[in-house]
Amino acid sequence: MKAIKGKRFRRGIHIADKKQYAADAYIEVAPVPQILSISMSQHIGKPCQILVQVGDEVKQGQLIGKADGFVSANVYSGVSGKVIGIEKRANPRGMVSDYVVIENDGQYDSVCLEPLADREPNTIKERIREAGIVGMGGAGFPTAVKLSPSTPVDTLVINGAECEPYLTCDYRLMIEKTDEVVSGIRLLAKALGVDNIIVGIEANKPKAIELFEKYDDLTIVTLKKAYPMGSEKHLIYCCTGREVPVGKLPADAGCVVQNIATAYAVYEAVELNKPLYERVLTVSGECVKEPKNLLVKFGTSFQYLLDYCKYDNTNLAALIAGGPMMGSTMISSDYYTRKTDSGILALDDTQADFIAPSPCISCGRCASVCPMHLLPMSIDFYTQAGDYQSAAKYGGVLNCIECGCCAYVCPARRSLLQSITLCKSQLRKK
Amino acid sequence: MNKVYVSDSPHVRGARTTKGIMIDVCIALLPACIMGCVYFGFKALLVLVLSCVGAVGSEIVYNLILRKNIKEILRNFDFTSLVSGMLLGMCLSSNVPWYVPIISSIFMIIVVKMLFGGTGKNIVNPAITGRVFAFIAFQSVMISGWATPNIGAILSGGSEVTSGATPLTIMLSDGVDNMGISLLDLFLGTGVTGCIGETCKLALIVGGIYLVCRKVIGWQWPVIYVGVTGLMSVALNGFNFGYFLPSILSGGLMLGAIFMATDYVTSPFTDKGRYVYYIALGIVTALLRKYTRIEVVSFAILLMNLFVPLINAHIRPRIFGAPTLLDKIKDKIAKMKSKKQADKEVQG
Repeated sequence: MKAIKGKRFRRGIHIADKKQYAADAYIEVAPVPQILSISMSQHIGKPCQILVQVGDEVKQGQLIGKADGFVSANVYSGVSGKVIGIEKRANPRGMVSDYVVIENDGQYDSVCLEPLADREPNTIKERIREAGIVGMGGAGFPTAVKLSPSTPVDTLVINGAECEPYLTCDYRLMIEKTDEVVSGIRLLAKALGVDNIIVGIEANKPKAIELFEKYDDLTIVTLKKAYPMGSEKHLIYCCTGREVPVGKLPADAGCVVQNIATAYAVYEAVELNKPLYERVLTVSGECVKEPKNLLVKFGTSFQYLLDYCKYDNTNLAALIAGGPMMGSTMISSDYYTRKTDSGILALDDTQADFIAPSPCISCGRCASVCPMHLLPMSIDFYTQAGDYQSAAKYGGVLNCIECGCCAYVCPARRSLLQSITLCKSQLRKK
Repeated sequence: MNKVYVSDSPHVRGARTTKGIMIDVCIALLPACIMGCVYFGFKALLVLVLSCVGAVGSEIVYNLILRKNIKEILRNFDFTSLVSGMLLGMCLSSNVPWYVPIISSIFMIIVVKMLFGGTGKNIVNPAITGRVFAFIAFQSVMISGWATPNIGAILSGGSEVTSGATPLTIMLSDGVDNMGISLLDLFLGTGVTGCIGETCKLALIVGGIYLVCRKVIGWQWPVIYVGVTGLMSVALNGFNFGYFLPSILSGGLMLGAIFMATDYVTSPFTDKGRYVYYIALGIVTALLRKYTRIEVVSFAILLMNLFVPLINAHIRPRIFGAPTLLDKIKDKIAKMKSKKQADKEVQG
C-alpha cells in the first residue's frame, strides 16, 4: 500500500544519524570464534536454568538454558562443540550472570525444532516461546509474553524507525530480507489475532519504504526523522494518533509494538524451525575502518567482531554496546554478544567527549525537548537534594523513558539521566 | 588499551555549552554598546569598561578568597559575569561618576550572584539588581544626570552633551503629544536622552535577531513582553493608540525585553510558564509606568523574578499520555450527569 505520512510527536531532538557508515554494507555472516560465552540472562526477567554441564557435547541449535518462569526465555547454542566451563561474568550494564563457555569444534552439527503442524495463533505463540525470542530492539522482553496482552488489542505496530544513530541492522534486514520480515510480521499479527498491521519507517530510509509499499496488507507510515521515534509510546502516537495513557502499557491503547529483527526471528523460528541463536548487528563508529552489518552467533566476543571490522583504537574515546543514545559504555571490549545487542560502536574523541558538568542555568532546553513532557531539571534538582518524592511530583520522573534527549541538549553538560535513574531506583526501593 | 570514557547514556552530546551561549549573548550586546559609544562618546566607553572590569574582577577575587586555584577559575569562567557587567554598563547614564559602575558591579556580582551560589543560583537578575542598586544608592546623579547624544558635536571634535529629562519621563508626565521627538529618532536613538545601551533600538533589535537566529532565546518572548506593555499603555491611556509606538520605543523596555527578561536563570523554564511570566511582566510594567511616572522596566523585572519559583513549581506541561484539559472537563460533565441521573432515580 502507498505509504502515508505519520504524525509528528511534539519535542524530541534531531541528531546527525551517521548511518552512512554502514547503511550500504550487505549483511555478512561473521566468522565464528573458537570459544563462545553464552549468557544465561539475555532478556528481562529471570535468568535461565542451565541444562548442560562442563564436558557435555552440544550441537548447534541445542537448548542449553531453559526458561525459568513466565517472563524468561530459552537460550540455544549457536555452535556444536564441548562445554568447557560455566562462569560468572558481568554484562555491559554491570549485572552479573552465568555464562556457558563452549569450545567450537567447527562441525556445526545441528538440530532443529520440530516442524509445526499448523499455523494457529496458539501454535505460533508456543513456537515463539520455545525458540526463545525476545524483543530485539534492546529491551529484551520475551515476545511471547508481549503477544498475550491482558486488554484487547486491534493493531500491530512494527518498529522500523531505528532512530538511534549509527545503527543500520534493521534497515539492512528490511531491504535484504523483505519477504522474510513481512512473513514474520504476518505470523506475529496472526498470533495476536489482529488484521490491522502498521509498519512505521523513518523518512531517512526511502528504499525500505519503497520495498514495503508492495505488500497490500500492510499500512506503511513514513515517519519524520526525529529521536526518539522508536520509543513505543511515540511510535504508536505517530502511527495511529493514540496516546498511551500515563503509567499504562501500549496494550491499553490497543497496540502491540514489535521490532523488525524480532519479526525476522519469528519467521526463522516458524518457517525454518530455527531457534534464536544468532542475530544481525552493526559494528560501526569512527574507529572502525570497515563498518559492517554482521550475522553474529550469541556469545561471540566483542573484541573478535571489532578486530574483524578492522578496528583501530588510536583515537578511541568510547566503546558502546547498542546505540549512542541508549546503549551502555564498556570499560573494555571483553563482553559477549547477546540477543539484545543491536550494535557495537567504537567512537572517537570528536563524538564522545567528556566535559565536567557545570551548574544548571535553567535554560529549559531539557524540558523543551523531553518527548514525555517532563521537567528533567526539576528531577535533577530534587534528586541532588535527596528529595525523591518531590522529583516524582514536580518532575514526573516515573514517566521517563530514558531516551537521553535532555542530557544530549544540556549546555551545562549535567548528567540528567544519571539523576533520573538514581531517583527511579530510590523510589522503587520504598 | 587506551583510555575510554565510561558514562551514563547518552554518549554523544549536543554542541551547545553554557560558555558558548554566554559568548553569543556578549556578541549580541555589542551593536548596542558600539552605538552607545558613538552617541555618548568616550565617557560611555569608560562606564562600560569599568562595569565589565568590576564584574569579572569581583567574580575572580571572590573565587580566590574561596581558595580556588587560579587556573581552575579561568577554565571554569563562563562569561556570565561579563554579560552582567555589559548589561549593567548599558543601563547606566554616561554622565555617572567613575565609582558608580564599579560599586554597582561589585554589589551585583558579590551580593546578588556569588553569595547565592554563583552561576545559575541567583534568584534575581544581577544586572537589573545592580541598576536598581545604583538608582537608589546614587539617586542624585542617576536621576538628574541624563546625557543627550549630540552626534554633530562628537563629529566636530567637541564632546558637548546636554542634559535633560528622558522622552519617556516627558511622555509619562505630560502625555504623548508633548514628547517633541519623532518616532524615527526614538527608534535610532538620535537626540534621545537616556542610558548608554538603551537609546538605539535598532542596535538592540539587531542583537535580538542574532540571539533568535542562534536559538539562544525564542522570538516570542520579547515580542510578547513588548507587545503587552504597548497594548496595556494604550488601554490605560483611554485607548489612545498614539501611545503604542512611543511607549515601546522609549525607555529601557527594548533592552529589558530582549536581554534582561530573557535571562535563563531568572525566567521560568517551561514554555507555558514563560507565557504567563512575559504577559504578567508586560502588564506590571505598563501599570507601574502609568502610576509612578518613572522608568520602571528594571523594577518590574525584579518584581517578576521573585515569582519565577512559584511559576516553575505550579505551571507544568501536560505529561505525554495524561488527559488533556478538554478530557478532564468532559469527564467532569459526564460524572455530573450520571450523578444527576442517579439523584433523579432516587427521587423517582
